[in-house]
Amino acid sequence: MKKAIVYLNQFFGQIGGESSADHLPEIKEGGVGPALELDRQLQHAQITHTVVCGDNYISENKEDAVTQILKLLSDKEFDIFISGPAFKAGRYGLACGAVNKAVHDTFSVPVLTSMHTENPGVDMYKQDLIIFSGGESVMSMVEDLRKLAAYADKILTDQPLGTAEEEGYHVRGNRHQIWREDKVCAADRVVDMLLKKIHDQPFESELPIPEMDRVPIAPPVSDLTTARIAVLTSGGVVPVNNPDHIQSASATRWGKYSIEGMQRLEAGVFKTIHGGYDPTAINADPNRCLPIDALRAYETEGKIGHLYDFFYSTVGTGVTQSDAGRMGREIVADLLSAGIDAVIMTST
Amino acid sequence: MVKEVERAGIPIVQMANLVLVAKNIGANRIVPTISIPHPLGDPNTPKEEQWKLRYHRVGIALQGLMTDIEQQTVFDV
Amino acid sequence: MKFRIGNFIVQEIRFGTNLSYHKGLLTIDKSKALDIVYEDEHITQADIFLVRPGDDVRLVPVKDAFEPRIKLDGTPLFPGVTGHLAQCGRGNTHALKGCSVVVVGQQWGGYQDGLIDMGGEGAKYTYFSQLHNIALVADTDETFEHKALQKKNRALRRAGMRLAEYIGSSVKSMAPEELEEYEMVCVPDRITSLPNIALVLQVQSQMEEPGYNTLCYGWDCNHIVPTLINPNEILDGAMVSGSFMPSSSKWSTYDFQNFPLIKRLYNEHGKTLNFIGVILSNLNVASEQKERSVLFVVNMAKTLGIEAAIVAEEGYGNPDSDFTSCIVALEDAGIKTVGVTNECTGKDGRSQPLVYLHEKANAIVSCGNVSELIELPPAGIVLGNLQALVRDGMSGGWSDDELLGPSVRPDGSIIMENNAMFCGDQVVGWSTKTIKEF
Repeated sequence: MKKAIVYLNQFFGQIGGESSADHLPEIKEGGVGPALELDRQLQHAQITHTVVCGDNYISENKEDAVTQILKLLSDKEFDIFISGPAFKAGRYGLACGAVNKAVHDTFSVPVLTSMHTENPGVDMYKQDLIIFSGGESVMSMVEDLRKLAAYADKILTDQPLGTAEEEGYHVRGNRHQIWREDKVCAADRVVDMLLKKIHDQPFESELPIPEMDRVPIAPPVSDLTTARIAVLTSGGVVPVNNPDHIQSASATRWGKYSIEGMQRLEAGVFKTIHGGYDPTAINADPNRCLPIDALRAYETEGKIGHLYDFFYSTVGTGVTQSDAGRMGREIVADLLSAGIDAVIMTST
Repeated sequence: MVKEVERAGIPIVQMANLVLVAKNIGANRIVPTISIPHPLGDPNTPKEEQWKLRYHRVGIALQGLMTDIEQQTVFDV
Repeated sequence: MKFRIGNFIVQEIRFGTNLSYHKGLLTIDKSKALDIVYEDEHITQADIFLVRPGDDVRLVPVKDAFEPRIKLDGTPLFPGVTGHLAQCGRGNTHALKGCSVVVVGQQWGGYQDGLIDMGGEGAKYTYFSQLHNIALVADTDETFEHKALQKKNRALRRAGMRLAEYIGSSVKSMAPEELEEYEMVCVPDRITSLPNIALVLQVQSQMEEPGYNTLCYGWDCNHIVPTLINPNEILDGAMVSGSFMPSSSKWSTYDFQNFPLIKRLYNEHGKTLNFIGVILSNLNVASEQKERSVLFVVNMAKTLGIEAAIVAEEGYGNPDSDFTSCIVALEDAGIKTVGVTNECTGKDGRSQPLVYLHEKANAIVSCGNVSELIELPPAGIVLGNLQALVRDGMSGGWSDDELLGPSVRPDGSIIMENNAMFCGDQVVGWSTKTIKEF
């Protein structure tokens, strides 16, 4: 019999409700609450322990909480780790995601969880984790546990694993080729899809385009001559000592650097730390990436009101979508507080 | 990043060489640049020419910020 | 324009004293056949092997495959390539079905070459394991490209074409066992109430230097603007496969001769749709070239009154932008469009499937992942040179990898990407593969 450990929040871990949400991580022998039902459903594993932690504690002290949980697990033997189900509970879902990711990275065991599609934990962690598509509330507990147990049993007994759709977990951009059981060839699939499209019947693309998050077009600047303009670059231009230690690829940091009183960006003062292209040309003249000289000229001519005293910089290559979004939001907050009217962004 | 700025209602113009990729990312105002490692000035050309190119394309970008558009637009350079 | 293919169903191939066909048995006089191969003085060594479905045989590096055929009016099987120009796709052509001439490099492989396993686990990865194959294994004096990553493989590919026509001549004066008939009535005469459909083929043409690209009547498809072509011409030797692009994405000459998508459209013609024809387009490396081709495709489609279209892409990577742009432009012109292609999602399945995606490309049939990792046991017999997979830059093979080791192991087992499977993704329509989320 293989061994499984379960993660639950304070409520399902039977510590208490919202008043116990600051509960510190602890580990209990055997299963608690939903883990008991999961234990009944699992055919090839026994739940040896349950980790319980308060939702508020982990959301407010994520790093500490995760470290403590890893420590609680460090002397345990287990073959699989299962969190939740977290349904639509946001803090709980984010906790399940953070814990599963850390457990997987540290112990290299399979990790599973379950959440409703609107749980913010799904978007945050689906790329890294298998997150089963769960119900909205505890009403679907038994069904959600059944899906988790069935998949866990398959993993533990080395059975072939189905597709995300067949097994019932959230699609996560992990695409592999398979042979269709019905052996319908591409020529037939193409023509059948075309006939459906012609007749406005529903069809299913085999390559669904990831939903494009389109934003409404911002209204134009009415009068540039009074506008405050800021510049942003993903080309990695920074002061030569890279004071914010922005990474040259897969960046998680951005910087804000003064150009006050500068007519242009001088070589030797600024450089690029971008790892994705030959930096020679931009190091020799950083204005080739970040055209401060041209913007100053327009400012002097009175075509633009004011060039903001700082530029913003990060490295665009290999940045995860979630980091790009976060850095964008952080920069926007700064732009808004500086009263910026319009932005020029350069990319390489 | 472009989208976050635009989401806040601040008009933004992206100057990029890979226009299709900029479009794919969801930038709404796009001005093409000349290459990836030197977007706004070819080091193999005279300094004066580089300056002209840069001044010209930044001008297009500024014009783009003042242009009322209804869909993704790549401004002619 | 009526076109008939008279079929002869090959069930067995043997060597014998004369080239002949009798009730499913094809007999080949090997020395005569080799004489045909050696007609080109650039062929320095050659041998012919007969391999059957299920045989424990691995063929590598495979250059191209051809269906043995003969045209009854005496015109060349591949006009403009193996002989003078002549109209394809009218009159009668006889074909030996269930078999192909497969050309294998005896020594040298390259970026564009592939692998065929006739038996075992590897057989499912390529269409050609289902055929009785006449494997021409040969070497040439084209020393200038022996060590080049990109090879034109000119002499070998042409030897395969000659051999296919020579073997096809065995059934020239015989009565076919079955008959396929294709008729394209001229466009103005085809007024039906059914929707007008065009098939847009984006054939591989990314090389600027001549000698590598797909040929249309011998003409390099890099130098075409998109044109209307009668599908019968494609089924009858107007198109010859090129020698560029990782193998699994490629369409062999055999694929062009048998194009399942064209045949399915013919099958639907007059029933559910009105098949107007094929728009032959290409794949390019400069943005202006890409835009020009899209412009021609869309204008031609509009001029022909096309209401719905299929776009098929022979390749991946940079040409994905030609593919998606073409679909988007057709949709923008009010033409409902379905695309068919393969994906590159990486060994881990996590990469963006096409270099360029667009929400208007909302109907795509996907035929495989070029980077899927494939591990196969040793084969009893290797025809060609297994080392080509590690030595010659064949896409999908590598000489060493920190985690995976070399593509070819000392015991002859292999680990490679799907990229190296000979015409494995079968975007022409054979493919029963698709991509799913995991």
